[in-house]
Amino acid sequence: MAITKISNSGVNGSKYDIVSADNYYMEPIATTLVGVGGASAVTFSNIPNTYKHLQVRGIATFASGTNAIILQANGDTGSNYAWHQMYGTGSSAGSNGATSTATANISVASVSGTVGVFVTDILDYANTSKYKTYKSLTGYDNNGSGVIAMRSVLWMNTGAVTSLSLKFDTGVNFAQNTRFSLYGIRG
Amino acid sequence: MAFTYSKLAEVTVGASSVSSITINNIPQNYTDLKLVYSGRNSAAGAGIDLYISFNGSTANLTVKRIHGTGSSVASYSGTTGDIGVDDGASQTVSTFSNMEVYIPNYTSSTSKSYSADAVQENNATGAYAQLSAGLWSNNTAITSITLTPYSGSIVQYTTVTLYGVKAEV
Repeated sequence: MAITKISNSGVNGSKYDIVSADNYYMEPIATTLVGVGGASAVTFSNIPNTYKHLQVRGIATFASGTNAIILQANGDTGSNYAWHQMYGTGSSAGSNGATSTATANISVASVSGTVGVFVTDILDYANTSKYKTYKSLTGYDNNGSGVIAMRSVLWMNTGAVTSLSLKFDTGVNFAQNTRFSLYGIRG
Repeated sequence: MAFTYSKLAEVTVGASSVSSITINNIPQNYTDLKLVYSGRNSAAGAGIDLYISFNGSTANLTVKRIHGTGSSVASYSGTTGDIGVDDGASQTVSTFSNMEVYIPNYTSSTSKSYSADAVQENNATGAYAQLSAGLWSNNTAITSITLTPYSGSIVQYTTVTLYGVKAEV
C-alpha cells in the first residue's frame, strides 16, 4: 500500500522530519534508452488507465538525413491524424500543418548531427468521449541552423490510449543514446 | 526538501454546457498554481478564445500573445486574460483543446503574472497554437480562478484540473 498521508499530530518531542506525502502529481511509467545497435521504433505498451494525463519526453539522435519524430497511438498507422505547428527558425516564423495523415509529427525535423528534444502532453488520454489532442514543445539548435516549435497532433479516435509508438517519419533508426520517457500525471 | 504538485480541484462539465468555470476557495499555502484544461465550445466558430480572470474581476488584465493559425503567424496585445482557443462546433467532432497555465507566486502582495501554452486541433488547415504572457495588476492574493469563453458555452467532457505547487523554503 502506498503512503498517501503523513501527520505529526499527537507527536511528542522535538525531533521529527517533515516528509511530503502529496508529491503524487507525476509518476514515471516507463523509459527506454536506445543501445549501440539503434532502434527503428520505441513502443510503450500496456499503459495503465489510472492517470489523468500523459507526458512523453524525448531526446533523439540519428545518423543521417532530416527526420521528424512521429507518435502513433494504439498501433494506429492509418491516416487518422492531423498536425499543426507554429515555428521559428531564428530568422523567420510560420505556421503550417497536415490533415488526415499517418505522420503524427510531435517534433521538428532536425538534421543529422543534431539532437532534437520534445515534451509532449496528452490530456484525458483515457477518456472515451474525446479524440486525443497532443501538445508538444520541441526544437533543436545546430550552432547556426535550428528550429523551435509548438506542435499539436490530433488522433481521431475516442479509444483510450493504451500504447504509444515513436519512430522517425523517414524510417531511419534512432541512434544510440536516444531516450524516451513516459510519465503519468494524476488528476 | 522541495515539494511538488498537489491537486487542488478538478472540474468536469456535464451534459449541460456552462457559460464559465470557476474554482473558488483556493488554498493559500502553496507557492505557484498550475491549471490544465481540455475544452470545447458550443459556438459555431473556427475557434473560440478562452479567458482567465481572478477573484471575480475581469479588470486590470493585460496580455501579449503569439499564435499560429495553421497557415500564418501573428502577435497580439490586449486587455484580457487570453490563454488560448477552444474548438468550436464547426470544427472536427470530439476534438478538445489542450492548454496549460502557470501562475507563480499567486499569493504575493504584488501584481500576478501568468504564462500559458495552448493548442487547438482540427482536421483542416485552420488550427491555433498560442503562447501567452499575461498580467493581473492587482496586489491581492488569488483566491479564485474563472475561465470564460469569448462566446458560446463550454461543453460536456471539458475538464479543468488545478494543481498547487509548493516549495519548502
